[in-house]
Amino acid sequence: MGDESWQPELDEAARRATMALEMGGPERVKRQKDAGKLTARERITGLLDDSSFHEIGGLSGYAEYDDANQLKALTPSSFILGRGRIAGRPVVVGANDFTVRSPGADPASGRKSTAAERMALDLRVPLIRLIDGFGGSVRTQESLGRTYIPDNPGWEHITANLGQVPVVALGLGTVAGLHAARLVASHYSVMVRGASHMFMAGPPVVARMGQVHTKEELGGADLQARAGAVDDVAASEAEAFHLARRFLSYLPPSVHELPERTAPTDDPDRRDAWLLSAIPRNRRKVYDARRILRALVDDGTFFEMGKAFGGSVITGLARFDGWPTAVIASNPHIYGGGWTAQASQKVARFVDLAQIFHLPVINLVDIPGFVIGLEAEMAGTVRHGARALAALYQASVPWCSVILRKSFGVAGAGHTDHSRVQHRYAWPSADWGSMPVEGGVEAAYRAEIEAAPDPDKRRQEIEDRLNRVRSPLRSAEHFLIEEMIDPRDTRRRLCDFVNLTAKLRIPGPVAFGVRP
Amino acid sequence: MIGIELNEGKRMPAITVRAEFSAVVLKLCVAPGDRVARDQELLVLESMKTEIPVTSPADGHVGAISVSEAQAVDERQVLLVIET
Repeated sequence: MGDESWQPELDEAARRATMALEMGGPERVKRQKDAGKLTARERITGLLDDSSFHEIGGLSGYAEYDDANQLKALTPSSFILGRGRIAGRPVVVGANDFTVRSPGADPASGRKSTAAERMALDLRVPLIRLIDGFGGSVRTQESLGRTYIPDNPGWEHITANLGQVPVVALGLGTVAGLHAARLVASHYSVMVRGASHMFMAGPPVVARMGQVHTKEELGGADLQARAGAVDDVAASEAEAFHLARRFLSYLPPSVHELPERTAPTDDPDRRDAWLLSAIPRNRRKVYDARRILRALVDDGTFFEMGKAFGGSVITGLARFDGWPTAVIASNPHIYGGGWTAQASQKVARFVDLAQIFHLPVINLVDIPGFVIGLEAEMAGTVRHGARALAALYQASVPWCSVILRKSFGVAGAGHTDHSRVQHRYAWPSADWGSMPVEGGVEAAYRAEIEAAPDPDKRRQEIEDRLNRVRSPLRSAEHFLIEEMIDPRDTRRRLCDFVNLTAKLRIPGPVAFGVRP
Repeated sequence: MIGIELNEGKRMPAITVRAEFSAVVLKLCVAPGDRVARDQELLVLESMKTEIPVTSPADGHVGAISVSEAQAVDERQVLLVIET
């Protein structure tokens, strides 16, 4: 030791690091806790594997010195950055610390936020953003004594990351402006019901244009999930961390690797007897598509995403014989499973997710077509639908369709890229065509029906005639469907499919630029 | 829960049941004052040639019914109220 030792400097660094652990000070920390929210550091601990957090830039902050140039106080920066592990795998985590109000400029926070994005990109590991912040304020104008042309700091990395590493964003407080954009520019975003709010601008700003709303009314978690701005809603911060961990469990660390198979936990040959009568014989009746999904995937592995948005389509991740898989299913309980503008957006984004991270897709099809009518036309349904089709035709990941019931029209055709070799199965309840007989008859046989002495009788005669050739077995005669299967054998076929095609998954970035 | 909200301002705790999608009311299965159990069928909507039941979000009584059979309803339109 002796005089050459650098111990005093290390002691000073340790003293500063301890100051940083105080975050915004006891009073502000208490206010955060009283509002029912965790602190940024508690959030990091709650998200990551035990004791795995390794902080980077922990000494950054706004320093105040006394006359003797000794540090009086260090207000830490309002962004905490580091690495840690989730289920043993490295991740980068960045958290806004809402308790910190820097008495002076806090340029380190922006630099750390950008560093988090770059670190995930360079290390090829997932990034988790723990977001709690408002964005810009006109107060800056006074403190700077000038205005500025706005820019979006770090956005080049935020955009690049979407095509490189899994990005999860959790909205955990009031989130507006740039932070709202950071929340949604992710592959999976979650808000906490009652505790987190998101908007482009908050209630005081909106009130200026005559709209008086509470935070909950303007940007509550359920509203934003229903609008499709975020993917899911959690009941608590702890649940949000759980969802983030679960989502990442299906994905590779980056696009440069493949999603990993885990040891299978369920019999690939399991046959659930009730599937034989899962689809009602009456085509107008509904059934529980989620129950069918849960029966087909490895037990307990279905992780639904985006339930509140575009509800006629169900999307989620699951495992088949241990292989991570992207699953799509029609939901007859909403619009009979018809594709709306929102459902089309959901399909496009989800298929892109599967393509980016090399997940095989399994699609359970019951699509009566695009939803029709004036509302649907005004929503631009066909444009969003065509985008969904484009996503499907751009996808090259292994793809398997099981036609449970309807496949009608352009949207019905959108269950697959028809130009690929088909891994496709039909249940005996399958029913397809350009248009269903019901309704289609009026359009195609109008003149004949109107000219008949008894139009209703003639319509019925025509319908009966057409229904006689409706059996999917007649399509099978012409090799228009590859196989008709016993619904109870579906799981076995799907497990076969993922095993057979596992080697066709190719690591690397996708050819298209990924957008939120 | 989608399509359902608590009306905290009202004297009677009540849950508003809304249409989750635009549709035609095919059949009303209950009348005002009826006692209903959670998951009991309240009415049937028709959309895209499919009959889609709307079920009760809770045990309670049927309050005001805002729609009638054969009526077209928009997404988010109030169908009826369940008083709990």
